[in-house]
Amino acid sequence: MVKNLSVSLLLGCSLFAADYSSIIEHPDASEIIKKDLLAPAKVYTMPAGCITTDAAAIARGDYIFHNLNGEKAKADAPAGLSKKNSNGSTKQFGNCVACHNIEGAKGAGNIGPDLHGYKQNFIDSGARTTQFVYQKIADARIDNPDTHMTINLTTKLFNEREICDIASYIVSPK
Amino acid sequence: MNKIIKIALSVAVLSSLSFCDDQFSMSDKDRAMYAEMLDNNPADMTVASGEELLSYMGGPAGLAKYLGVSEEKLPEYIAGFPRYIKKFDMVVGLDQVLQAMMHDGGHKPLELKSGNMFEMLTYVKSLANDVPINIDVNANQQMKDAYALGEKTFNTKRGGRGLSCLSCHSPDVIGSVLRTQPLPDLGVNNSGGTWPAYRMTKSSVSTLQKRFQGCMKNALLAVIPLGSKEMVGLEVFVTDKAKGKPIAIPGLKR
Ligand code: HEC
Ligand code: HEC
Repeated sequence: MVKNLSVSLLLGCSLFAADYSSIIEHPDASEIIKKDLLAPAKVYTMPAGCITTDAAAIARGDYIFHNLNGEKAKADAPAGLSKKNSNGSTKQFGNCVACHNIEGAKGAGNIGPDLHGYKQNFIDSGARTTQFVYQKIADARIDNPDTHMTINLTTKLFNEREICDIASYIVSPK
Repeated sequence: MNKIIKIALSVAVLSSLSFCDDQFSMSDKDRAMYAEMLDNNPADMTVASGEELLSYMGGPAGLAKYLGVSEEKLPEYIAGFPRYIKKFDMVVGLDQVLQAMMHDGGHKPLELKSGNMFEMLTYVKSLANDVPINIDVNANQQMKDAYALGEKTFNTKRGGRGLSCLSCHSPDVIGSVLRTQPLPDLGVNNSGGTWPAYRMTKSSVSTLQKRFQGCMKNALLAVIPLGSKEMVGLEVFVTDKAKGKPIAIPGLKR
């Protein structure tokens, strides 16, 4: 009762109302978002020797495709790939399987196209070039501005070599 | 059985369950647990704690007075949040109203992210249970701006993978599967009317804004703070998608 009263009294005093901007938490998020924005879409050309049949490179691409990050990945990382970044933080992987089915996938999603038999169905048939695959993984907006696919090179999530490893895995015979 | 004991039991059973990775969907066993918990939502305890905390500020009557509405109209008024409140000159969520009310009542406002604040928010929103969401995003320029900022924030691609909320919650992907998780339609799912909710995979109560933060974290978007204009904007935008759907607090989520 007394509390009700004091609350209503305070309401009556709104003429002297405090500046609520210092009372109500409303932190600024615009700077956080600005620093986090995605750079404009970029065209990339596959570096020489990008697509390879080297088993070690394909193993890295396979690992990046099927894992979310170094913390969640159960199997040891293949040679030439680490679960941690050089500064000790957790390395992010592609988690491509979250959206794409492919040979050997576990718990694959279906937001993106099924990549089974990619070599026969897409490359050997002439429907796709390896340059297309490279660009798609690097920055999918080039041939589809409204894509829901992740952006992997423009964001610097991966470097050129890693994009090549992933592309080599996708177009490899399985 | 005494309700509290039942709740305590279901919490105990729940925490002994090993939920798999957050990315994986419910097993049949989990689904049975879900059905059981619909009757005994562990967050009922949260509501009870929130009720007790609000009683220190006069309970629902005190809140109605503070907001300048009758106690009878309070549920309907609550069902319209986030709102522009002239006295604060801000579009605010219910938790931010509670902060102002605490201050004006001589209490130190609880932080938005504090557990006690989640409890109070859950209780206060539950006062509007069964009332259809009636947010008015055209009520005034401030609400229009908040909606526009929310929509922009929802659609902005950013973060380590260049994703936006829209990447996974746009009409053309809803129902597709992300790593065994069907992508929910935030409107049809009544996200605006079912948070705060108990999250079984986290064994804790989460608010809508906290849920947004969860998606940001998972998808590698920089997490923005609770109560920021952009967060409130997102809440306005997402709540509007469920306009007309009845409020049902506490929700129960995977
Ligand atoms: C959030 C969902 C999502 C994730 C994660 C994702 N993709 Fe995609 N991907 C898509 C969608 C949607 C398309 C089709 C639309 C388009 O081409 O932009 C696509 C298209 C593709 C294609 C083109 C297929 C073709 O020939 O048309 C390739 C190749 C591909 N993705 C590889 C990858 C790789 C590799 C990764 C991980 C580094 C990945 N995707 C991660 C959603 C995703
Ligand atoms: C990479 C995909 C992805 C992105 C990006 C994403 N979400 Fe989600 N979101 C999901 C999935 C999957 C679920 C359902 C997970 C579950 O059932 O636990 C979900 C659930 C939700 C829910 C809860 C729905 C309910 O009421 O049950 C809300 C609210 C939500 N997302 C909002 C957002 C917002 C806001 C953003 C952007 C900041 C966002 N999401 C970005 C995949 C995503």
